[in-house]
Amino acid sequence: MTPLLEVTDLRITFRRDSGPPIVAVDGVSFTVSAGEVVALVGESGCGKTLTGLALPGLLPPGAELDATTHIRFNGTDLAGLSEDALRGYRGRRIAMIFQDPLTSLNPVMRVGTQIAEAIRAHQQVSRGEARQRAIALLGEVGIADPEERVDSYPHQLSGGMRQRVMIAIALAGEPELLVADEPTTALDVTVQAQILELLDRLRVSRRMAVLLITHDLGIVAGRADRVIVMYAGRIAETATTVALFATPAHPYTRGLFASIPRIEGSSGRLPSIPGTVPRPDQWPIGCRFHPRCPVVIANCREVQPPLEAVATSHLAACWWRRRRPGEHATGPGRRARQALPRRRIPQRQCARRARRRGCLLRHRSR
Amino acid sequence: MTTQTKFGLGLLALLTLLAVVGPLVAADPNAQRDLLNGTLQPPSLAHLLGTDEFSRDVFSRLASGARISLGVAVVAVAVAAFLGMVIGLAAGASDGGLSGLLRRCIDIGLAVPRIVVLLVLLSAIGTVPMWLFALVLGATGWPAMARLIRGETLRLRHAQFVAAARALGAPEVRILWREILPGALPPVLVAATLGVADAMLLEAGLSFLGLGAPPPAASWGGMLLESRSVMAVAPWLVLAPGLALVAATSAATLLGDALRRRLQPDAK
Repeated sequence: MTPLLEVTDLRITFRRDSGPPIVAVDGVSFTVSAGEVVALVGESGCGKTLTGLALPGLLPPGAELDATTHIRFNGTDLAGLSEDALRGYRGRRIAMIFQDPLTSLNPVMRVGTQIAEAIRAHQQVSRGEARQRAIALLGEVGIADPEERVDSYPHQLSGGMRQRVMIAIALAGEPELLVADEPTTALDVTVQAQILELLDRLRVSRRMAVLLITHDLGIVAGRADRVIVMYAGRIAETATTVALFATPAHPYTRGLFASIPRIEGSSGRLPSIPGTVPRPDQWPIGCRFHPRCPVVIANCREVQPPLEAVATSHLAACWWRRRRPGEHATGPGRRARQALPRRRIPQRQCARRARRRGCLLRHRSR
Repeated sequence: MTTQTKFGLGLLALLTLLAVVGPLVAADPNAQRDLLNGTLQPPSLAHLLGTDEFSRDVFSRLASGARISLGVAVVAVAVAAFLGMVIGLAAGASDGGLSGLLRRCIDIGLAVPRIVVLLVLLSAIGTVPMWLFALVLGATGWPAMARLIRGETLRLRHAQFVAAARALGAPEVRILWREILPGALPPVLVAATLGVADAMLLEAGLSFLGLGAPPPAASWGGMLLESRSVMAVAPWLVLAPGLALVAATSAATLLGDALRRRLQPDAK
């Protein structure tokens, strides 16, 4: 099956008045198939959001795509399209929702008007018809009393309802791909679950692909088909959700797992990855993760690791796996290192491990 | 609603009544009744506010002057708000050269004293019809409005909901018109209401200098000018238009403040 979206060698550079340009996203490639949920995971400053914005050509001023970048959407390369042509894709083929649903809605317009405007921007319908469809959309995203809520202003709605309204606006153009940039970060946990549930339902009923951008592996569990872990503008690891939860191959991914709080188990200090993501102009030579990595070998400090197959459709960019016998790791975090030695585990165990790490396996007919 | 707001609304209602109904019920403002015995009559039942030195009824003149003075002020502010809105939006939304050029235009417009520009313009034109007078008054009032709108546009253009609208494929013009402008309006509404008071005083001042409505048309500033020489013997001639001006500017100021409290509760 040809994928709906195929991004090859995504490279985003910021030109500067003084000094060399900054490469914020550096050679990221991935695909999203129709009806698939792909999660893009990483800390702040990894380039996740830029990646999402680049798809419909919404990069901030000063940012540019490299000439080698291709963003193929249903076969068309969006990277070469004009602003006018791209506008035809926004909302209609690729829709976006953002982190903070309060600031994403116009505070001085009724939510029904905002949805109706989105509908009328994409389809030739009358005002009355657009309003009826807006009410229907509000109902579809699970807002009670859509007939009344359609005349509310954003400040009269709760955070979860506002995000539902945002989703309704995004659905107005009947997009094939929804880019959801941290859609639940501003919401509390129970509402988070409801919104994710809603996105899941919509992608099944509308066969809409979702690119879920998040820093939280916890919300990826059971929602995404595949996960792409980004670090410092590059892909660190990519795998199916089950494989990633069962056998995370990259030390960064393992660090992310270690820092998910658990309900059961010890109540000690939550482990975290030491340090922070370096700024794009201060990325280290070699593997960009090596200053924070618990298992650094000599190669890590000198050469950037390529993205290599660890198992079927499971790629990771790490030198540690290819260390010579007897080569020892240096680096911070002795405890993290103890959990490391890897061997292949059988499929049956794989699912069990994934479940233990909080991955709810789905049994859904497709 | 505060007492001040009620007072302002009351004044506004009275003035509107005066301007709309007054000229319909009052006598002809330019009729010279009795040039021998009827000049400079003090207020009486026949002439509620007395007569002037040409024996014209002062109440009639005040009522017809209300139409001119209030009308000129409102039209002038509307023109200024419209120009300011277009230029301010363009200055706030554009980038690079155009933005800098427009910003400098606004700064220059703010730096040059409005009254001087008006004096030069109006004396150059000579006798001006009232609609042109209102246009000129408005055309010199836009920089303050443009500055406000530009500021609001700069604040709103980076708002997330603007980015969201763009992400959903809205064209730039539509974003300006439907997303940014409605959010930029509240301070403009306040400034426009307060601006009516300014425009009214300017109109009166210019009329007083003889640059406003040409005689025999009655405007409040013109009435003040005509009554200046006889102020000692007929003080009601000064008091009537003077108090009307005070009432009108007070109404505009009080209502402007009320709007500000309502629309910008956080602004001090």
